[in-house]
Amino acid sequence: MLSLQHISKYYQVGGNKNYVINDISLNVDEGEFVSIMGPSGSGKSTLLNIIGMLDEPTNGYHYFVDQPVHQLKEKQRSALYKQYIGFVFQAYHLIDELTVAENIETPLIYQDVKGSERKAMVADMLDRFQIVGKKDLFPAQLSGGQQQLVGIARALIAKPKLILADEPTGNLNSKQGEEIMELFRKLNKEDGVTIIQVTHSEKNAEYGSRIINLLDGKIESIKNL
Amino acid sequence: MLKNYIKIAWRNILRHKAYSLINISGLTVGIAACLLIFVILQFETSYNKFNANYKNIYHIISEQKRDGNIDYNPGVSVPALEGFRLDMPQVKFAAVNSSYGSQFTILNNGESVSASDKKFIEPLGVMFTEPQFFDIFTTKWLSGDKNVLAQPNMVVLSKATADKYFGDWKQANGKSIKIDNAITLRVAGVIEDMPSNTDIPLKVLVSYITWKNAGELYGYTNEWGSLSSNHQIFALLPANMSKDAFQKQIDIFTKKATENKTNSTRIHIVQPLGELHFDTRIGNTLGDHLTSKATLKTLGFIAILIILMASINFINLSTAQSVGRSKEVGIRKVLGSTRSQLIAQVLGETMLVILFSILLALALAKIALPHLKNIASVPDDIALLSVGTVLFLVTTFVVVVLLSGIYPALVVSGFKPVLALKNKITAASIGGIPLRRALVVAQFAIAQLLIIGTIVAVNQMNFVNEADLGFNKEAVMILPGYTDSISLSKMESFKANLLQNPNIKSVSFASDAPSSDNNSGSNFYFNNSMKDPDFNTFLKFGDNDYFKTFGLKLVAGKGFAKSDTVNQFVVNETFIHKLGIKRAEDAIGKTMKLGSAKTFSPIVGVVKDFKTNSLRDEVKPIAISSRKALLSQTAVKIETKGLSNTAKAVQSLWEKTYPEYAYNGYFLDETIAQFYKQENQLALVYKLFAFIAVFISCLGLYGLVSYMAVQRTKEVGVRKVLGASVLNIVLLFSKEFMILIGISFLLAIPIAWYMMNQWLQNFVYRIPLTAGVFILAMATSIIIAWLTVGYKATKAALVNPVKSLRSE
Ligand SMILES: Nc1ncnc2c1ncn2[C@@H]1O[C@H](COP(=O)(O)OP(=O)(O)OP(=O)(O)O)[C@@H](O)[C@H]1O
Ligand SMILES: [Mg+2]
Repeated sequence: MLSLQHISKYYQVGGNKNYVINDISLNVDEGEFVSIMGPSGSGKSTLLNIIGMLDEPTNGYHYFVDQPVHQLKEKQRSALYKQYIGFVFQAYHLIDELTVAENIETPLIYQDVKGSERKAMVADMLDRFQIVGKKDLFPAQLSGGQQQLVGIARALIAKPKLILADEPTGNLNSKQGEEIMELFRKLNKEDGVTIIQVTHSEKNAEYGSRIINLLDGKIESIKNL
Repeated sequence: MLKNYIKIAWRNILRHKAYSLINISGLTVGIAACLLIFVILQFETSYNKFNANYKNIYHIISEQKRDGNIDYNPGVSVPALEGFRLDMPQVKFAAVNSSYGSQFTILNNGESVSASDKKFIEPLGVMFTEPQFFDIFTTKWLSGDKNVLAQPNMVVLSKATADKYFGDWKQANGKSIKIDNAITLRVAGVIEDMPSNTDIPLKVLVSYITWKNAGELYGYTNEWGSLSSNHQIFALLPANMSKDAFQKQIDIFTKKATENKTNSTRIHIVQPLGELHFDTRIGNTLGDHLTSKATLKTLGFIAILIILMASINFINLSTAQSVGRSKEVGIRKVLGSTRSQLIAQVLGETMLVILFSILLALALAKIALPHLKNIASVPDDIALLSVGTVLFLVTTFVVVVLLSGIYPALVVSGFKPVLALKNKITAASIGGIPLRRALVVAQFAIAQLLIIGTIVAVNQMNFVNEADLGFNKEAVMILPGYTDSISLSKMESFKANLLQNPNIKSVSFASDAPSSDNNSGSNFYFNNSMKDPDFNTFLKFGDNDYFKTFGLKLVAGKGFAKSDTVNQFVVNETFIHKLGIKRAEDAIGKTMKLGSAKTFSPIVGVVKDFKTNSLRDEVKPIAISSRKALLSQTAVKIETKGLSNTAKAVQSLWEKTYPEYAYNGYFLDETIAQFYKQENQLALVYKLFAFIAVFISCLGLYGLVSYMAVQRTKEVGVRKVLGASVLNIVLLFSKEFMILIGISFLLAIPIAWYMMNQWLQNFVYRIPLTAGVFILAMATSIIIAWLTVGYKATKAALVNPVKSLRSE
């Protein structure tokens, strides 16, 4: 599905190159469930952003469904993105001006899904995450965990082939976290959705088929389960 | 998708109420102002265009050269008319002779006028008209046809006039009316009313032949030497004839016809109907006003400046505000929005705000519309909505969207999603700070330009209104009257009766007031010489109380004695200076005679120079004498106490004395103010628009400062903790704006100086353009800016630092 070859990213700090990602090569096949772990500041989010084409590496090659991402224009990248990827953020990133239902609906709008169909799909999602009662509230009126759920619902609604999740369960209680993980597993097993998640929790990491450990921008170890 | 955008846009407007309010009110005021200016411009430029043959109609004017002076006159001498017709049979010509202020009496019993008859005075629109006029100008005849104007003593009324005279125009036909209580006319036709954008208002059309038959009464003469602005000729060219070809034929004719017939060289200039309304050379048209193209351009220029200012606010505030939206943009990009979709969204929001502003502006303009006549010569019932204004609004919409929407849209849509999501986007990182500074400079330059314009225009008009005219215009009533033998015979008793009223100080019969738009003049002979000096003297006539009534000061000699004919003169200082006489005393006892007079008469007094016309013109050489037959006006000087009661008493006495005429009196200072109607209007325009400009730029400034205050909350907190005083903080905020205002001032000075210097050239008597004017403008804008910035800055500086730091 995607392939990173000798990817590096550094920030120029003073006269020094401060490497956040240091020469990482990684292949992820369709249908895999990958967990990325590592201490804070080790570059997990940065790596995920690069995979998700939100951030650009300073060096290296990046292929996504056989397309050379490093050569694509913004418009083409955004088209690829729409077609394949659903993103769950560490900091939720909901649109403050939109209600819960509208936030969940937004990706569908950009994929030109018809209005009536959208309504049905949003209703389905609200149901699935048991937040029907919150559908007309604005993000500021929700708790952190509830916002996280909305973020996940929004990432899933367009039925992406690749889900990138940055600590999706960080703000959920363990029961909720487990439910999300179960949902991911089900999507992965039954629908063949590829999932890459960043997590601090060993337990959650083990839902994956492969665990990648990062340290100082390098892959320290890979563990296949 | 559209619905989603609109929803977000609406929520954004509500969420940022202060910014939205600033944006919307600035735009609303700006657009409303421009819309009203557009209505004025549209009205002024539409003059005469409703005529079906508009493009092929010409007006012929006269240009006379004498002693190196060039005079333009909208009229043409009478004999030219038949000459034109003989020489150019393919062109249709028609003449009208206008009569201003004629009285019409609706006759009820036979020919004689009784006190109970209804009387109407028509200031404008009375024309002695040839039937051929309607071959050139098409109009709808409600009854009768153009041929009735071929017969003497026939009159055609416009529908409104006929309604006014007879209650219903259908009753008018065959009725008799009397013009100036002199000639009885029969109503033989009614025409559709003219639109108000005409320079040839047609209200009462008396047949041209009636004018010829009346001879001297209405100044008819078939002499080349006589040239009256009342007698005007229009022409309709065949479609295949060019203006140049027409001018050539006119030139050939004029040369042949006028050789040795006048004492000046005269040519006729053909003037396309489309230029008539803007030709300031000819002074006035048959209608109520001319408009200089320069004034229209100034108005248009101001409108563009105002729209620019409002758009600048928009750009400044939207880009500043866009920082706060970076997160939303980042998320949308991640959720699959393309850049063009984001541009569409931001533009959509702009459009919504602008559309909203346009609707509000429309309402505001509607409220202001009835007051428009105070700043421009537009009719009371001028319409706001027309094809033109709708097109204007659509254009404004598009232009303002492009001006104020594109840049913020590009900035916002260009955010990199990762940076946007990490809140790494700051006012500095989106760039555009130099741009925002430049825009603030532009805004303040415009505001200062208009402030300087206001100061100069208002000062000049104050100067004009309070200038020493050399006579006293206060509390003097002018009663226009008639010089038929009956009226003249009542003069003495009328004067005696007036003077019985203790509040009436003095009464004089006169041809016109010291300052008037009358320009009658004559050549003259001085000190028994048979050769005339190389200048004409202008003339005024009055009785022996003329000097006392108007408060004129004699510098030598005395006023002339009571007399019914010219036998003594009083001249002004300019007159004797032009003759090379230095001391006023030396002129006393010298003799002079006017062009056509038989005998010389002595000069008995020299009057101190007074302003003979408006302050636009030089003081002219004047000779004042007495000739009863020309004294059509009564000037009444009254006590300022109980002014209106005395005025009422004067009116009732006049009506009792002259029951066959309608009363038409007015105060002299009002007509003098009329001289400067257009200038006073322009001064008001400057005042108004300077105010609007200052308002809009303050809104912009306020918006930017409040934005800055939010952005710098933490900085302010830290500085305060480190010991900065409130004043330090306020200075920190205002320093930048003060520098920007300084730069804008440097930009505004040369433009303002050029513009206002041009305008002042209209006046012979004018105020100097001193540095004080510019310093005052600068000080005004600095104070206004300080007030705007100071409030927000102080508020920001007063916030408890612990609070602002804790929230970080
Ligand atoms: N603009 C920047 N300039 C310099 N360094 C940066 C910049 N952005 C991120 N970094 C650095 O990159 C490193 C990796 O950041 P990243 O967000 O990927 O960490 P992470 O592994 O996701 O940590 P966490 O578990 O806390 O989320 C950090 O050390 C951070 O300091
Ligand atoms: Mg992270």
